[in-house]
This record gives sequence, C-alpha cells and structure tokens, in this order.
Amino acid sequence: MMASLYDWLVSVQQASPHLMKALLAGGLVSTTCALIGCFIVLRRTSFLADAVAHSMLAGVVAGYLLMKLVYGDSAHTGAMLIGSIISGIITVAMVSFVSRASRVKEDAVIGIMYTGIFALGGVMVSFFSDVIHIDLYHFVIGSLLGVGDADLWMMGMVSCVVVVFIVMTFRWLQIITFDRVMAASIGIPVVLMDYLLTMSTSLGVVSGVRMVGVILVVGLLIAPAATAYLLCDRLRNMLWVSALLGWTGFLMGYIASEYMNVAPGSAIVVVLTAQFMLVFIIAPRYGLLADWRRRLTALPQQEVEDILGSVLRADGEALSLQQIAGYLDKRPERLRRAAASLDRQGLLAGDAQGYTLTDDGRKEARRLLRAHRLWETYLREAGVHEENLHAHAHVLEHVHDEDAVDYLDDKLGHPLTDPHGSEIPEDFLHLVPGELVKLAILREGHTGRIHSIGNLVSDQAIAGETVAVGPREDNGRIWVVSVTDASGNIRTLRLDHDQADDVSIRLD
Amino acid sequence: MNTDVSAIDVQNLTVSYGPVPALLDVSVTIPQGQLVGVIGPNGSGKSTFIKSLLGFLRPDFGDIRLFDEPIENSKGRVAYVPQRGAVDWDFPVTVREVALMGRYAKRPIWQNLTAEDRDIADQALEMVRMSDLRNRQIGQLSGGQQQRVFMARAMAQGGDILLLDEPFAGVDAATEHAILDVLERTKASGRTLVVVHHDLTTAAEYFDTIMLLKQRLFAYGSPEQVMHPDLLSQVYEGKLRVFATMDANSSSPGDES
Repeated sequence: MMASLYDWLVSVQQASPHLMKALLAGGLVSTTCALIGCFIVLRRTSFLADAVAHSMLAGVVAGYLLMKLVYGDSAHTGAMLIGSIISGIITVAMVSFVSRASRVKEDAVIGIMYTGIFALGGVMVSFFSDVIHIDLYHFVIGSLLGVGDADLWMMGMVSCVVVVFIVMTFRWLQIITFDRVMAASIGIPVVLMDYLLTMSTSLGVVSGVRMVGVILVVGLLIAPAATAYLLCDRLRNMLWVSALLGWTGFLMGYIASEYMNVAPGSAIVVVLTAQFMLVFIIAPRYGLLADWRRRLTALPQQEVEDILGSVLRADGEALSLQQIAGYLDKRPERLRRAAASLDRQGLLAGDAQGYTLTDDGRKEARRLLRAHRLWETYLREAGVHEENLHAHAHVLEHVHDEDAVDYLDDKLGHPLTDPHGSEIPEDFLHLVPGELVKLAILREGHTGRIHSIGNLVSDQAIAGETVAVGPREDNGRIWVVSVTDASGNIRTLRLDHDQADDVSIRLD
Repeated sequence: MNTDVSAIDVQNLTVSYGPVPALLDVSVTIPQGQLVGVIGPNGSGKSTFIKSLLGFLRPDFGDIRLFDEPIENSKGRVAYVPQRGAVDWDFPVTVREVALMGRYAKRPIWQNLTAEDRDIADQALEMVRMSDLRNRQIGQLSGGQQQRVFMARAMAQGGDILLLDEPFAGVDAATEHAILDVLERTKASGRTLVVVHHDLTTAAEYFDTIMLLKQRLFAYGSPEQVMHPDLLSQVYEGKLRVFATMDANSSSPGDES
C-alpha cells in the first residue's frame, strides 16, 4: 500500500514536478487555513479575516517596492510576506482602535479600513507601474500551478509556525475564545493572544492567497471550520475534523480542476462549499434532516404524560385508545402517534384496543401522579381555590424535575394525601432497599437501620439501632417510629419534621 | 493568608465605555468571609463592577486591591461565574471541559493538566450533581444545569474570592437552593463572595451585606440599612412600584418554575 503510494508519487514527480509541488503546497495551505478557521468561526471574525486578506495587497506592494528600490531585488518573496503580515496587523489595529474610540460600530470600521488599505495598494501598483510587475489577476484569483520553491518554503514555514502555535497554546486559545473575562482574570495575556491569532490569520491568508486568491481565501479558512462546527462537540475534535475536511476539499477540488481543466482555486472552494452543504443537511445532530426528524417525532410532552396518567388511573385494566381519548377530551386520532411512541419506548404494552402500562411505564406514571398531587397540595396551601386546583396542578405537574418535586415535598412536610384525600405516591425513586435516605420521607411499614443522627435527636437514638415506621400522628405532622436497640428493647419515638430530617436511615 | 486585611478594597473606582461613566467614584471595602449582594437597576454598572474586580476592565481612575495586593498580583485568586446571557452555549465544549477550565490558572501553559486536576474538576461536578452529564455539550443542558456547571468551574478553581453575575436569573427552585447551599458552604470555608442579584424581594434574605449601585455607590451595609424604601425609590425611580407590589404578594405562588 505505502510502496504503491510512493511509486505513484515518484511517477507524478517525474511526469510533472509542478503537479507535485501543487499537491504539497495545497495540502499544507488548506489544512493550515482550516485550523485557523476554527478560531475565526468561533470568534465570529470572518469579516475581519476577509479584511486582512484584502489589505495584504498594500503590504505586498510595499514589500516589493522596498526590495526593488533599495536593493534592486525583484519580487522578493520574504519581503512581500513580511509586508503583507504587517499590513494585516495594521488593519486589525486600526479597526480595533477606531471602533473603540468612536461610536462607529466595528463592521462599518472594518469596511472602511480594508477598502481603504486595499485601494492604497491599488494606487501604489498603478503609480509605480514602471518598476512593479505584480500580476493583479493572479493576486485576485490565485495560481496553484505557479507555486515555486520559494513559495513552498514559505508555506511550509507558515504551517509549522501556525500548528506549533495552536498546539502549544491550545488551552489559552480555547479559554480566550470561550470566556475572555475569565481568561483575563487568571492572567492570560488576552490582547497579546488576540494579536498572535491575527498574525496566524495573516500567515494563513498570505499562503492561501497564493493558492486561491484574495477573494476565495475566506472560503478556504471558514468553510471547513464551519463544516466541522456542525459535526463536533469539542474544540479538539473540531480542529482535527476541520483540517481533514480542508485537505479532502483541496484534493477533490484540485483533481477535478485537472480533469475538467478549470481554475483550481475556484474548484477547491466549490468543493469546500459542497462539503459544507452536504454536512449541513445530514449532520447527525445539528443538520437539517436531524432537525426535521426531531420536529416530526417530537410529541407534546403533555400528551404523553396525560396518556400515562389515564392508564395508571385505570388501575391495571386495559384502556382502549377510545377510552383514553374520552378521559382527556381529545380525538383518538390525535393520540395515536403519542401512544405508538410510548409503545416503542417500552412504556405502554398492548394495542389500540387495550393499553396497559409496562413496569417502566408504571414507574413513570407514578412519578407524574406524585408530582401532580404534590402540586395540588402546594396550591391548596398557597390559597388557590378548590375548583381551580386540578387545572393548575395539571399544568404544573409537567414540571416534574426530580429536584423541584423533592423540594416541594420537603417544604410541604412530606404530606401523605392530597387535598382531595387521595394518597400521594411515596418517594419511590429514593426509597430503594439499601439506599441511604432521611427518615422524613419514609412511610408506614418501612424498616431500616439508623446510619447517622444529627443534633436534634442525638439524645433519643444512636446509630446502628433498627427502626420500623408506624402510622403518622397529628395529621401527618408527627412521625412515629419504633426503635429496637442492641439488646432488643423496643421503644417508641415521636419526631417532628425537622427531627425526622435529622436522622438518616439505611433502608432494609 | 493574613486574616486582618480586607478581601476587596476599592478606592474611587471610575470606569467608562465611551463618554458616559458606567461606574463613578465607587469606594468600598469588603472584609474576608462576607457574602455581599450587589443590587441596582438595569445598566447600573453591576457587571462592570464585577469585571473590574476581575481585572478585565481597566479603570479610568481609582485603585482596586485584593488582599492588599494590586490586581495584577492576584491572578487566579478570583473565580467567576458569568451571566447566562454572556456565554456562547453553542461553543464546542463539554461539561467536564468547562469544569477543567477552573484548573487552567494553576498550570502554566507548557504543563499538561494532571490527574489531580481532573479529579478536582470531577469532584466539583459531583458537588453540583452534574457528574452524569459530564460528556454533554453545554448547550444541551437546562438553564439550571448550565448554571451549576459554571459553579463547578469556580469551585474547581478554588479562588479566595468568588464573583457571580446573576446566578439566580432564570433557574428553577431546586437550582436556586442548590446554588444558595454552595454559596453558604463557600462562605463557611472563609471565602469572600460578591453576587450580582436582580431580585429585590430575596436580596435581604440571601446576603449579609448589600451594595446598592447605580453608577455611584448609593448604599453599602446590612440589609436593614440598605433596603430602605426611600433609598430604593430614589435609585429605582418609577420601577420601584413593581417591587412594592411584588413584595406585598411575595407569599403568593405563581413564580415557581
């Protein structure tokens, strides 16, 4: 495999040294740009990156002129590179200074600055047209096949610098992008990092422009990164995926351009965009299809819960869809999909002629019933009128976040019945044999061993004694427990809510 | 740590964005181990105050000392829980990675995070009961869960000062209590907390000391001193009427999440 790849590369090199250089250069540039692009996408600075690309013209011309006029050296790559980086940094510095010091907003300032600096470059090119020989056409649309040795060296160096920078300072880059305030507070040099990132962007842009030109370089930076953004939930993965997509986009675009004999820069960016559109549609979580599917399969949670509640209240008897619909005052067709979905989730068993709850469904339904009755008790306590209780609680029972319901239960003093006298299901999520729970949530008949004890009752019981809970007294406000000590003597304790909260029990 | 010096000492702090100062001549001294609430109407400079304490904003004028040291020397000693609206919830980062950020201050950039760092971050997540969701991307959590993740980050950082920007905004009752619980425990461990708070009805109950800000520092002291109707109506102007009616009804239900 490796040998045949090597043979193929050698044959390419012999047949066409230009092609070889183009492949190497393109691979380096596209992956490097894709890496920087991740930070541009996340920091929402695409427009600034575009501005840096355009402002390069002035720097390239200035570098060219300096070498030409001072040293008489024509088209010095290094000088043009340094010139373009400097002009990029000047653009960014001007943008941040002007937008901070004036009331003009940043996007407008970027628009002013980059066109201004780009135009300055254009003026210089025409003014010094007798000494300058820059092919503006290639600057605008790029020329991959024209890549020379000096360019290749430049691109290799740029890639090294950028990759080393990102790897070395990954944590800093992550946190200044995610939370600048915290980054500054733990002593990360935020402004310096901003400038280093801008410099990396300039470096990426400089090598990207050589390949696809000023106008398309933004696509090279952003398209793979945005594609990866739709696929990844971690920055580290996003960088890898982006680099990979940058490379595949380049390779496919370039090969296509060779076959179809079209401009390689354009072909590459077309492929990168096509990759994006494809992922935009099929991405498993953030894609269009996934979104449609979610919408299609999404059921009103309320409907689902109402069905479970009805079947539970039927107390073990099978209920037909018709009957459920009757209880809920809804048309059966509207419930069919929700019922089918509950069936798939394993909460309901049976068919439209008669549904019963599975064990899981029973648990879920009791959880809802508990929430509903606790809410009713709470609303009653809060002074809501009797006839509105059910309707209000019916809305609120869908707030059955476990923590919220437990909180309600505790605030109400762990009531046994709701205002209509129906029993509130016990806290069965926590009342599992072997679990450590507060005495206050136990009901009549529970047994266990005292695990630890707080100050309020430390004079009445000790850890290790066994307890059996009896019926509560005083309208459920007094917990009655019979305690058996180590020598088998039994005594009865009467505890109020605070005291009962102070005893933790390991359930039998 | 010298327990005599005050945790936060702000003198004549003035900060502005553009021509209008957001904070004007604020001077306040906060002793160690205090739980301080910062209240004031919208746009009164509460967040600006927090960001100045973090060293994120450069004051036009004035001096901030933390434990009698200039801010530059106390990097990492101040942990921070941002306002929910200030976070990019689409950012590709998981719950655990956010908690780990609390350890970034402890490790220079050339060192990798250690197993100890990971343990501390995991413990912090355990404390706020978010361990089960640690591999979730942060945008997939509920509002209360998101708030708890950032609490975990602050605890993993373990700073001496904890600044929270509206931690109770838009969270459910359970999370509100979980947060209060963590605040109380943090205070009990001797740390100093400054909490931006929007709900006047609960401010007196939650905090030992209250700062009333509106560009200037209008009052600083115990809830009885600060939550004075005359003072509040001066600062909140017309908006206080809402507060007055809310207060009268504060025992009625309806605002549960």
